[in-house]
Amino acid sequence: MDIRAQVSMVFHLDKCIGCHTCSIACKNVWTDRPGAEYMWWNNVETKPGTGFPTLWEDQSHYKGGWELKGNDSNKKLQLKSQNKIDSFLKLFYNPNQPGLEDYYEPWTYNYANLFEAEAGDDQPTAIPVSLITGEPMEIEAGPNWDDDLSGSTLYAENDINLEELSEEEREQLFEIERVSMMYLPRICNHCANPSCVASCPSGALYKRGEDGIVLINQDVCRGWRACISACPYKKIYYNWKTGKSEKCILCYPKLETGQIPNCFQSCVGRIRYLGVLLYDADRAAESMKVPDKALVESQRTAFCDPFDPKIIEAAKANGISDEFIKAAQLSPVYKYVMKWKIALPLHIEYRTMPMLFYVPPLLPVMGKMANGIYTNAMENFFTSLDKSRLPMKYLARLFSAGNEDIIEYVMKKLMAVRYYKRSLDMQDIDLVMMNKMMREGGTTPAEAEEIYRLTAIPTIDQRFVIPEIQREESIESSCNPEICKGSCGIGITQPPARGF
Amino acid sequence: MTNTLLFIVLPYLAVFACVIGSIYRTRKEPMSYSSLSSQFLENHGLMWGSLPWHLGILLILLAHILAFVCPGFWQTLTSNQVLLLSIEAAGFGLSILCLVGLVILAIRRLTSPRIQAVTTPMDLFVIALLLAQVALGAAMAVHCKWGSAWCSGTTTPYLWSLLLFQPDLSTIEDLPLIAKSHIVCAWLFILIIPFSRLIHLFAVPLEYLFRPPQNVVWNNSRKLKEECSAFVAEDTRRHFLKAALGIGFGAFLLSVGTLNKVFNFFFGPRLSKKEETELMEVKLAHLESTVDQRKLELERQASNYIMVAALSELNQSSGKYFIDYQMQPAIAFKGKDGLPLLISAKCTHLGCTVGNKVDEQGRILCPCHVSYFNIETGQPNAEAPAKAPLGHLSWVIMDERGSILASRNLEGKTACSVNQQALANGKVYIAKSQEDKT
Repeated sequence: MDIRAQVSMVFHLDKCIGCHTCSIACKNVWTDRPGAEYMWWNNVETKPGTGFPTLWEDQSHYKGGWELKGNDSNKKLQLKSQNKIDSFLKLFYNPNQPGLEDYYEPWTYNYANLFEAEAGDDQPTAIPVSLITGEPMEIEAGPNWDDDLSGSTLYAENDINLEELSEEEREQLFEIERVSMMYLPRICNHCANPSCVASCPSGALYKRGEDGIVLINQDVCRGWRACISACPYKKIYYNWKTGKSEKCILCYPKLETGQIPNCFQSCVGRIRYLGVLLYDADRAAESMKVPDKALVESQRTAFCDPFDPKIIEAAKANGISDEFIKAAQLSPVYKYVMKWKIALPLHIEYRTMPMLFYVPPLLPVMGKMANGIYTNAMENFFTSLDKSRLPMKYLARLFSAGNEDIIEYVMKKLMAVRYYKRSLDMQDIDLVMMNKMMREGGTTPAEAEEIYRLTAIPTIDQRFVIPEIQREESIESSCNPEICKGSCGIGITQPPARGF
Repeated sequence: MTNTLLFIVLPYLAVFACVIGSIYRTRKEPMSYSSLSSQFLENHGLMWGSLPWHLGILLILLAHILAFVCPGFWQTLTSNQVLLLSIEAAGFGLSILCLVGLVILAIRRLTSPRIQAVTTPMDLFVIALLLAQVALGAAMAVHCKWGSAWCSGTTTPYLWSLLLFQPDLSTIEDLPLIAKSHIVCAWLFILIIPFSRLIHLFAVPLEYLFRPPQNVVWNNSRKLKEECSAFVAEDTRRHFLKAALGIGFGAFLLSVGTLNKVFNFFFGPRLSKKEETELMEVKLAHLESTVDQRKLELERQASNYIMVAALSELNQSSGKYFIDYQMQPAIAFKGKDGLPLLISAKCTHLGCTVGNKVDEQGRILCPCHVSYFNIETGQPNAEAPAKAPLGHLSWVIMDERGSILASRNLEGKTACSVNQQALANGKVYIAKSQEDKT
């Protein structure tokens, strides 16, 4: 047993309004510089849609994540993108790598022209200028090009998660005026079994033992770009200017000082939760060696109960501080993922054991207009799940590797919670009916109340339980803090010293 | 002068700059140490350029290195006609492959505006130099045929001479201009490695073959724990290595003598004809002198009498040395009675040869530890370290015809003819005693 702590996350998609504030908060701090203009360590996608970079979920092209190989007795995980030998050939040319066309060419506008243009007959304009070449350019794509379906079903229809839907279901989904969508904010999943780390030829990528943040050592990175195709979520970006790869750092300089990461802090819909999860590192890769549909359950077996004295003892043996263990006990992530089991990982079939979880959006047909009157058929509350505007199959493909039972369980519970709250406010449901709802939703009034509180009216301290990471004390145990004082962020990584 | 500059100064400068510059850049400027891929900006041209170029140049460099490092093996390869033809053809084919790749890369770099945004003047110089170098290589394959064969007699010895710090240009002086330019370009190439994107040559990630898939870095007390256990493991290994090295070195020292003999037997210096003849002559002379000595010894053993001297040559004050049957020194004097007096010259103390000059008291001196021996009695003086007396030897005096005129046996008994005149002309001999005869 090798207990490790992971600062992990839950995004409650029911609350996401797709405002992109998180993306901007991140961009302004981390990627607003030459070579990084096109990077969106945090981005918000509209689903169904093709995402960013375009069709990032198409692993038959990008070869991201792990593949389950071997027979029943000896299963092993193997990188889809490369093995040890052909990784050397791919140094020269990597056929599975996204190019600039798959993202977009970053641009600005020639604002100076508005002031400096010669006097003439026409109003001066600010034409778009490429941030790479500095030349005028046609804008052909952008970071959220298919935002809100872009006024067409064209982008949504190309979503590869729709593969399993029948023709009829698709037609229903894309019926004009009724087409529905959801938002999917994405950052690096800081996986527990990361394929990017395993693919790096130079060994520049690493996972921090104490909080699980996955980072790229810029001094060691040689720009071989194996991580870019190996990461199935395409959350590693190549800086075309420095020749090194970069990724979300979970704002570790903020975390280390007890602050909230930018995208979490700026979230308008308060959809984001941050907290510690304890997991058994020995089980991490092991739990990913099961068939697709069992993966969600299997991942949960690797997570540990932070109240179990045995777990606490093992955690302490690994140098996990009391503060971390306390944070794990208060963690909203533990509640959503393990206690209530309503937060699910995104595309766990890539087998990287992602540590970012999503509460799927509840998009059932809640009521309908008939003869100009809005009616709400209460008895059919759960049956309407089948008619939910986003098909269950589609959600299952995103959040449970195709296992619809898990999605159904989550949906029913979420609806039961709403039902319970409605019964308290409206007093329009009798006790028998409510008990039936609770049973079907697999929950109790007490749990429903708890879910409601953390979902709808949490304080900031309940949403973000950030342990005192005590960076200074940890560093003190291994090096002279006076020397480390000068290094911070992703800038200086060497102690300041005179050159010759 | 130009030759010295281009083929001696430039190589040393280039290698020195490459080693120092590369170490400095990789250690101190790690942010600039990258493959600087531009696949992200332009994908299609890179595939058709980079793959042929890198694969071609890798194989060609491998062949170059093989020819330099194992010249013997390379010579064996190229002395086979079929292999030589294949190597030449493959070399030419690969150089064309490289050239095609490079040209595509050059065109791509010059025409794509995105690539130009990340192009430095050094990049252009690198691509020009590589183009020149590969074109020269291909031209050599066409114009200076069988380069793979003749390189082992020209460039390989030149490179080895540079490596051993005994630069020798004699082997490459007469090479055609193409070949010489190819060599100069190669040195330039090495020179600019640390100052250009070519530094990525050293970034080959061989360690990837051996590392575990996951990479975890700790920054809490577990870090110390891991460092401690790593240190212990390392320390144990270090101790084992030290002991193994010590024992190994001891065994090596002990076996050096044997090894030296064995080594000399197989690889030791060979003598020239002249030296061998001289050595044999010296050995022969030595053997001959030994033979003479042994013959003499044999002769003496065989004869019944050995001549000491003519009686007239002897006197009382200064003795004459001779060698007796036992090959020991002895001295012959003339006694007061006019008859010979033969005494052993081997000091009874430690065996030095006693002096032959007689002092006033009738004694001879052993110079080693100052023992005086009376020649009449043979007794040493009282203070002498020698305690035993020197022995007297028996003698005979014979005339020319071989008849014995006088004799003295070991007991000191003298038989003497009275004819003094005849005696004076006689010669003194020592006779073989009974023990000697057996």
